[in-house]
Amino acid sequence: MAAPAAERHDGFQLGTQRVVQMDGRRLVRVGARPTFFQYIRDLWRFRHFLWYDSQSRVSSQNNLDSMGRVWMVVNPLLQAAIYLTLFGIILETSRGVVNFIGYLIIGVLTFRFITGAVTSASNSIAGNQRVVQSFNFPRAALPISAAVRELFATVPVFVVMAILVLVIGDFHIPGAISTDVSLSWHWLLFFPVIALALMVMTGLGLILARMVNAHNDVKHLVSIGTRIWFYTSAVIFSVDRFAEAGADWVTPIMHHNPAFCVLDIIRDAWLYDGWGEPYRWIVLAAWGVGAMLFGLWFFWRGEETYGRER
Amino acid sequence: MSTPTSNYTPRRANWLATSNSGVEENLDLDPELLDESGYGFEEIEEIHWDDAPFTHSAPVVEPVDQNKVSVVVDYASKIYRVRSGNEHFKSKKRIRKQVQRVLGSGWAEIPALEEVSFVVNRGETVGVIGTNGSGKSTLMKLLTGKVRPTTGEVYATSTPIMLGVNAALVKEISGRENIKLGCLAMGLSPKQAAEKYDMIVELSGLDEDALNMPLKAYSSGMAARLQFAIATSVDPDILLIDEALNTGDAQFRARTKKRLDQVRSQAGCVFLVSHSLGTIKQMCTRVIWIEQGRMLADGDPEWVCAQYEEYTDHKSNGRMRSAQIVYDRTLLKLAPVQVEFSEGTRPTRAG
Repeated sequence: MAAPAAERHDGFQLGTQRVVQMDGRRLVRVGARPTFFQYIRDLWRFRHFLWYDSQSRVSSQNNLDSMGRVWMVVNPLLQAAIYLTLFGIILETSRGVVNFIGYLIIGVLTFRFITGAVTSASNSIAGNQRVVQSFNFPRAALPISAAVRELFATVPVFVVMAILVLVIGDFHIPGAISTDVSLSWHWLLFFPVIALALMVMTGLGLILARMVNAHNDVKHLVSIGTRIWFYTSAVIFSVDRFAEAGADWVTPIMHHNPAFCVLDIIRDAWLYDGWGEPYRWIVLAAWGVGAMLFGLWFFWRGEETYGRER
Repeated sequence: MSTPTSNYTPRRANWLATSNSGVEENLDLDPELLDESGYGFEEIEEIHWDDAPFTHSAPVVEPVDQNKVSVVVDYASKIYRVRSGNEHFKSKKRIRKQVQRVLGSGWAEIPALEEVSFVVNRGETVGVIGTNGSGKSTLMKLLTGKVRPTTGEVYATSTPIMLGVNAALVKEISGRENIKLGCLAMGLSPKQAAEKYDMIVELSGLDEDALNMPLKAYSSGMAARLQFAIATSVDPDILLIDEALNTGDAQFRARTKKRLDQVRSQAGCVFLVSHSLGTIKQMCTRVIWIEQGRMLADGDPEWVCAQYEEYTDHKSNGRMRSAQIVYDRTLLKLAPVQVEFSEGTRPTRAG
């Protein structure tokens, strides 16, 4: 360990002071941040790494549990059951919602994916210091891979979600309205919605990953923030509840909330056989492209800070 | 016992006290005042002690051929800042100390490396030696660009690649998957990774069963072998080898040496960090000795290794004074380098 600057003494030196002069045009600065477009190109070059990383980690996620991957499905289902009992039956948030069980299942399970993607992406740099320090790759690969990994891990959940909505989505709760839920081509709208949602999540994850890396404290705010987001995204009750409670101003904010747009389009397609309101699509697409571009740019600006000791 | 009072006042104080009296004023030793009276002090050459102590001679300017340069370390130093819960013990300010104690958080500053500068040309094999904790690994991290130096910069013709047993592997997945993941993380395409696969398996010496097991089932030796095998699957131009030669049993070491020779012969420039002076003397054309975060020597392997051996010998036998003498004596002979780029060619772009 070197002595602190204040206690350092200059040793005597008899050796001559040498000045080396050179032309630096052939050299590059080691560890320098590439230009933005070069960065995107690098990311594309590392797409296989990104893909393989998310794939291999999903398959090993639950291998400490004796029930293994079954938990990937059971856990969210239990969560949905709790919300159903608590909010649907005891607090009666089901009032005024058509097909409440389907509404709730779609809300809880999809939102789990959304928070999961944002949280794991935001921790991906701070939690993977060893990988960051031993390989040279564009660091944005890690948050993106974390978000993609969350999508892979949620695929079985989505399958179960579709089956549940189809089977018990229109189950009649006393005091609530229900219409018939049946499989139609509209169900395919799910895929573009989830793709856009993934873009939003990745963008947010990139922004948060840089912030968490700079200040670990942000991690705590992320968990609180996702909780607030949960209650303001109409996951377990409808938007009208805010208006009924006299808070009209919430509604326009909700309509620009990407998570709400995702849930609303999926519900419209799956439960009510619609196309999703065009305005929701516009808002969601704007969020997807905007968050992704801004996130990449913001993350790229901090590229040189990710490998440091903490 | 009380101090006896005396009316003696120190002479200097007397001078000051009486400086306004007429006689003493003429004895003021300011040369400029004396000059006016014609004492001839003007002929004395003025020396600025701060600018150039006697021990420093004029710097020697050496132009370097830009086509031969491989790595340039320009005044790079590193101070780590690490979060620490015990910082309040050191804090002097009372309120800040209490705040830090309650929060249980603070920054510890660890000066790991003082400013070093050196230039390495193509074709050189540079050994880096030093006792534990002297800053060798920090220098390696700066060279690979994973850590940004606190001051100064590191320039190179291409990004140096570190080979060693520190490549990060994922514990939960199998050896086979780790090989593929590691190759992809180093920027190989899936096709190239598949081509390298056999070579990596052969080098690591793991059998089929072991490759299918998750990495956490591996013994530390097996994991180290796999890490090393993965790390050596690239052929970098500027190569850093960190203590890699000392892992594994005799059989693995023989294989390692063969592969390393192969990689080394392809590389333009090699840095070798090792505690084994035999290896260093055998392989290197130049040795850098880093001690207590400072570059002590940079030059002929035989000479530097001899100094280092003497130093560690004194240290290990508890002869601190003798060790310090060797330290100072070696530092005395160091010819420090200062890097200058010709106008406007200081590199800024990324590699």
